[in-house]
Amino acid sequence: MKEAFQSRRMTAALVPESRENTAPVQSTYTPCGVSRDGIGGWRIMFKELAESRRLIWLLILRDISVRYRQSILGYVWAVVPQIVMVGVFAFLHASRVLPIGGTRIAYVAYALWGISVWQLFAGCLLSCANSLVSSGSLVSKVNFPREALVIAALGQPTFDFLVRLAPIVVVFIWYGVVPWWESVFIPLVLLPVMLLALGLGFVLSIANLVIRDTGNALGTALTIGMFLTPVLYPPPVRWPFFLVNHLNPLSPLLAASHDLIAQGFLTKPEMFAAVCLLALVLALGGWRAFRVTISRVAGYA
Amino acid sequence: MSVSNDMIIGVEGVSKKFCRSLKRTMLYGVRDVARDVLGFPANSNGLRSDEFWALDNVSFEVQRGECIGLIGPNGAGKSTLLKLLNGITLPDKGTIKVAGRLAALLELGAGFHPMLTGRENIYLSGAISGLSKQDIRKNFDAIVDFAGLEEFIDSPVKYYSSGMYVRLGFAIIAHANPDIFLIDEALAVGDGSFQSKCYAKLQEFKEREITVIFVTHSLDMVMTNCSRSLLFDKGKLVGDGTSKVIVDKYNRMTTRGAQTENILHENRVRGANSRSASKNIEWRGLFNVNPDEDRYGSRKAEILEAGIFNLDHAPVQILERNREFLIKIKVQHNDSMPAAVVAYSIKDPKGIIMCGTNTLYQKIDMGKVEGGTVVLIVFKQVVRLNAGDYLLSVGCGAWEMGEYIVYDRRFDYIPFQVAAVWQRVGLFDPESEVEWKRLN
Repeated sequence: MKEAFQSRRMTAALVPESRENTAPVQSTYTPCGVSRDGIGGWRIMFKELAESRRLIWLLILRDISVRYRQSILGYVWAVVPQIVMVGVFAFLHASRVLPIGGTRIAYVAYALWGISVWQLFAGCLLSCANSLVSSGSLVSKVNFPREALVIAALGQPTFDFLVRLAPIVVVFIWYGVVPWWESVFIPLVLLPVMLLALGLGFVLSIANLVIRDTGNALGTALTIGMFLTPVLYPPPVRWPFFLVNHLNPLSPLLAASHDLIAQGFLTKPEMFAAVCLLALVLALGGWRAFRVTISRVAGYA
Repeated sequence: MSVSNDMIIGVEGVSKKFCRSLKRTMLYGVRDVARDVLGFPANSNGLRSDEFWALDNVSFEVQRGECIGLIGPNGAGKSTLLKLLNGITLPDKGTIKVAGRLAALLELGAGFHPMLTGRENIYLSGAISGLSKQDIRKNFDAIVDFAGLEEFIDSPVKYYSSGMYVRLGFAIIAHANPDIFLIDEALAVGDGSFQSKCYAKLQEFKEREITVIFVTHSLDMVMTNCSRSLLFDKGKLVGDGTSKVIVDKYNRMTTRGAQTENILHENRVRGANSRSASKNIEWRGLFNVNPDEDRYGSRKAEILEAGIFNLDHAPVQILERNREFLIKIKVQHNDSMPAAVVAYSIKDPKGIIMCGTNTLYQKIDMGKVEGGTVVLIVFKQVVRLNAGDYLLSVGCGAWEMGEYIVYDRRFDYIPFQVAAVWQRVGLFDPESEVEWKRLN
């Protein structure tokens, strides 16, 4: 794994595309900010995003290649926590210490998949929220499209998720779980999961720059959030517990992925659509808020 | 060509405020961010409690190809200005217009990831600075060569020394081909050979009409490289002009006693001593005294006159190289006090100090003197300077309670020349003796 990112390979991938030609550049800086001009503002945002896609890709490669450089077990660490957690809950479940209701597929497979999707969300959100703070002087001393840092922060958790597919495949085979062919649409369910994390991440990354409590609070909130999402237990049906299925935007997405695996169609497509819309609105709104405020708070890094 | 056509940076009435308290910073940050998001106009005109103006109503223009030094004491707002020019943060008041591609080196290795190798960091940092694929490919070897890091290019940069960091950082930016180049004190870290490379690069920038703005505390560097300097103090632009004038002004600003006590003392002593003063002035008209001399000090003691003489005590305007000569300085003490330390220095026209000494360094102790005492000090030395134009500065002052107080300083008082039949290379005559013989 480490070999794959050795310098020469990386060098080839690290060559960015031309961001600007020799056209004259004119910038004006005033107290009112750079991009608050309606539709034109959106056009500039998308143009700059397109221009920085190479940079985003380089930052993703950087994070992935750097993460386990000074480590022996490397990506084993991406799967160990999941397996331990599911192992503990499987034991509690099997020994009936914790009364967990029946699941459509084998409990271990159910929990492992659920926790992987949850970790994709939680990892993306944490990594986005910390992206500016952890970049330090890059944010406060270099001028470049800084949303690239937040967007690129999605890369690492996504890569981890792909690594976690390996134990999932093993467990599915072990318990003889055969997913429906409709499971190939699961990426379309994971996309809103990531957009949701990105939208919140844009806002929280700025908040984290201003008040560092944000990062700590988020860690705690995510721990609680995992238990308020039907990750390790089937969606509850009794009042008031089934509220977690509706109030938690992640629940419908998780349920949708379980639906695709276990029955091949969505039980509540309208909920899924609503959450997709929410994710899209959050991502765009968060991005916009990020753009409007970043130059005000860049000095806080 | 009209001036405005060549203007590459225009700064107009720019102010920027900061908050001293971290807790309040958070509070104001939340409010400002909320206003921004909700679309209210930024509430940036007044100061809230604990806030201060890091930059206060600064205006200037920069023409294409200028090399400008920003100088001033710590906390004067120089680095803040660079951040504003770079667009990292926005001004609270005023407008900044930048017409051109801008590259900045504001902090050592700001774009570097410690775990990546130098090679990988060149590509990443280049991408962050907006370098194109072709630019990096084309310049990769030149960057590595300029940074002098061939051996270490595949080691993680966390093992680099701070000098290596700055060499790599500068090398990347120097090959970014910008119209404007901002540097913040970074160059001071490199070793001698790298610094001379940087100066060569700055010269090349000048020829290519690339505008350079840098913050530095090395006044020599400002004098050698910058035609123009801006002097900042407590957020205000207090000087804008040729580097020589501005550097003098800065020196004066950082010298205690330069502004204070002046009037007080003058009033007290003028009446008592004017008679003895006129009696002791006898060299008037002998020297081409510089009408633009820069004179300041508390005048507790003052320099009546000074001059350059040969060993026959005849005044001279042109000195022959490697001949002995005299510098005579008359100091009048306006109070009963320990005799002042008397000093001279010789500068070249760029303002670089060539040499100088004072009575303290020469271990002369003149004891205590009465008010009105005039002392004549004669420095005798050989002029080993290369032929050219020079300026004599003289001054007097004393250490009072741990601080050097300037009584009277007359910078660039008397211009003079050094003449020689044969030129030498550099500033000084090495006084080489040459032997030779045929070996076959």
